[in-house]
Amino acid sequence: MAIKLEISEEKEVYRSSYFPEYVRPKIYDPGLDETIKRLTPEKIEKAYQAVFGKETARIKAIVETCIHCGLCAEACQWYLSNDRDPTYAPVAKVKMTAWELMKRKGKVDAGLVYDIARIVFTECNICHRCSLYCPFGLDITFIIGLVRRFCFLLGVVPQRMFDQNQTFMATANQVWMSQSDYIDTLFWREEEGMYELKNLRIPMDKEGVEVVWFPLAAEPKTGPYHIDRIAKIFQVAGVDWTMVTMNDYWDSSNMPMFIRDFFTMQRIVKGLYENAARLRAKKLVLTE
Amino acid sequence: MGFLESVALYNFLRGPMVWITFIIFIVGSIYRIYTLINLAKKEKVVLPFINIKAAIKSWLHWLIPFASRNWRLKPYFTTFTFLFHTGIVFVPIFLYAHNALWYESWGISWWTLSETVADVWSIFVIIGCLFFIGRRIFDPTVRFVTSYSDFVFVFICLFTFLTGFLAHYQWILPYRAMLNLHIMFGEIMLIAIPLTRLTHMYYFFFTRAWMASQTAIWKIKDW
Ligand code: HEM
Ligand code: HEM
Ligand code: SF4
Ligand code: SF4
Repeated sequence: MAIKLEISEEKEVYRSSYFPEYVRPKIYDPGLDETIKRLTPEKIEKAYQAVFGKETARIKAIVETCIHCGLCAEACQWYLSNDRDPTYAPVAKVKMTAWELMKRKGKVDAGLVYDIARIVFTECNICHRCSLYCPFGLDITFIIGLVRRFCFLLGVVPQRMFDQNQTFMATANQVWMSQSDYIDTLFWREEEGMYELKNLRIPMDKEGVEVVWFPLAAEPKTGPYHIDRIAKIFQVAGVDWTMVTMNDYWDSSNMPMFIRDFFTMQRIVKGLYENAARLRAKKLVLTE
Repeated sequence: MGFLESVALYNFLRGPMVWITFIIFIVGSIYRIYTLINLAKKEKVVLPFINIKAAIKSWLHWLIPFASRNWRLKPYFTTFTFLFHTGIVFVPIFLYAHNALWYESWGISWWTLSETVADVWSIFVIIGCLFFIGRRIFDPTVRFVTSYSDFVFVFICLFTFLTGFLAHYQWILPYRAMLNLHIMFGEIMLIAIPLTRLTHMYYFFFTRAWMASQTAIWKIKDW
């Protein structure tokens, strides 16, 4: 029985019809598998034109400089942790995505869009290390970001990332946390922290402060002790600081940036800055 | 063989073709740099973020062998690429034979390399080319992203140096035939610089300036 299972697992591989070297385990992700069924050549070309149609200095300089030397490979954790599989090298990801799209001027079928989306969303962390290893300092991450934008415009995005984006659209944070829940959590952490540091305060919406701290939403949700720890540090260090609870803009994680949903991404950034400006804070501190 | 050796071909390559080559090379290079800067101006987020000080630091850092981390990770590659690139830029400029041609046509001349230095350096460039070709065939990572044009670029460099060297020693082919071949490849190379990805010779400075300015904002070094 066990042997049978192993064999059937071995057979479950996905092989790209464009790049025979691109072999991966078969996975099912409705965000990719279902959405590509809705694509038509016209939609794909339109999305291509929107992102790559206009020649820009950065795209031009990167594509016309890359000499295909492969030196960026050594930087990438995906390449290193997959036994130096050539298809994980940063330049290989650009080759299979942006170059292929540009070579065919966006006239590609849904199969390639699947490969592209899988590569740019699930095999690159947008970490920028490759740019620090490329002798030309080529901004590969910028290209990956453009390709993500292309996929986002087509709605081909891994389900989990798309889900998270919708959470941001609805609540402006990544964990469906309501304003009252947030305020309640801060009061609770203040009370907990007081057992360890006398007179601990978690200031809310205090004006004219030095520092406003925007946490990641995971902190109040799943690691609430972070909140009182940071509060203790601020208080002991004598920093004049505050947290923001007056509206929904307090989560600094901004996941929409990762799938290049520009509208939601801008809404979040604008919300955070406006809140800080309203309190006349001098510095923003974000969790990373 | 007759045609390759002919004085007619030599006269063409040394006459009108030299003019065509240098006009394409110079005008093309200016055009490529000009259009890139012009495009960058239209992209609002590029030029205002360029940090000249960081850019200069970055150029020096990456033009010194073994200074950056990736140069140190790849000692053979680094050795060959620096011998190759210094050779391809400086040998033709300071070669005695080339200087003699400039002197013949324009009456100008400058400092030249001794024959031994030029020979050894040319051999290094040739070995460097063979190393690049070997990598493109045998290193699976490089092979996966290599297109035909990448081989063509290396072969242009290889043949230019090989034929120049062989002409000098008058080996294999009669002198005139080899020299004609050499001049032909040299001209193809100069024309290719503005028209192909060999433009990296100029774009290197722009792309590094951009990434160096980014890393300066993030307050990290550019490795
Ligand atoms: C307009 C184009 C060119 C002309 C007319 C030209 C002409 C010549 C001549 C007359 C020689 C001397 C052969 C001898 O010693 O008898 C020579 C040698 C050489 N040339 Fe060129 N050349 C040109 C372009 C180039 C370019 C673009 C490069 C390299 C980037 C180059 C690299 C060399 C080398 C490496 C040698 C041989 C050095 C040695 O080992 O002695 N040449 N060339
Ligand atoms: C100032 C001028 C130049 C700079 C800064 C420069 C820089 C570079 C860099 C950073 C690379 C990538 C990796 C490597 O180091 O091999 C490269 C590769 C290369 N360059 Fe240049 N380059 C210059 C001029 C030239 C010229 C004039 C030629 C020939 C016409 C040339 C031909 C090549 C070739 C063929 C490669 C690819 C090597 C391979 O196959 O891996 N370069 N250059
Ligand atoms: S940005 Fe992407 S391709 Fe580049 S090193 Fe990071 S994970 Fe790899
Ligand atoms: S290191 Fe730079 S030039 Fe070389 S293949 Fe990677 S991106 Fe292209």
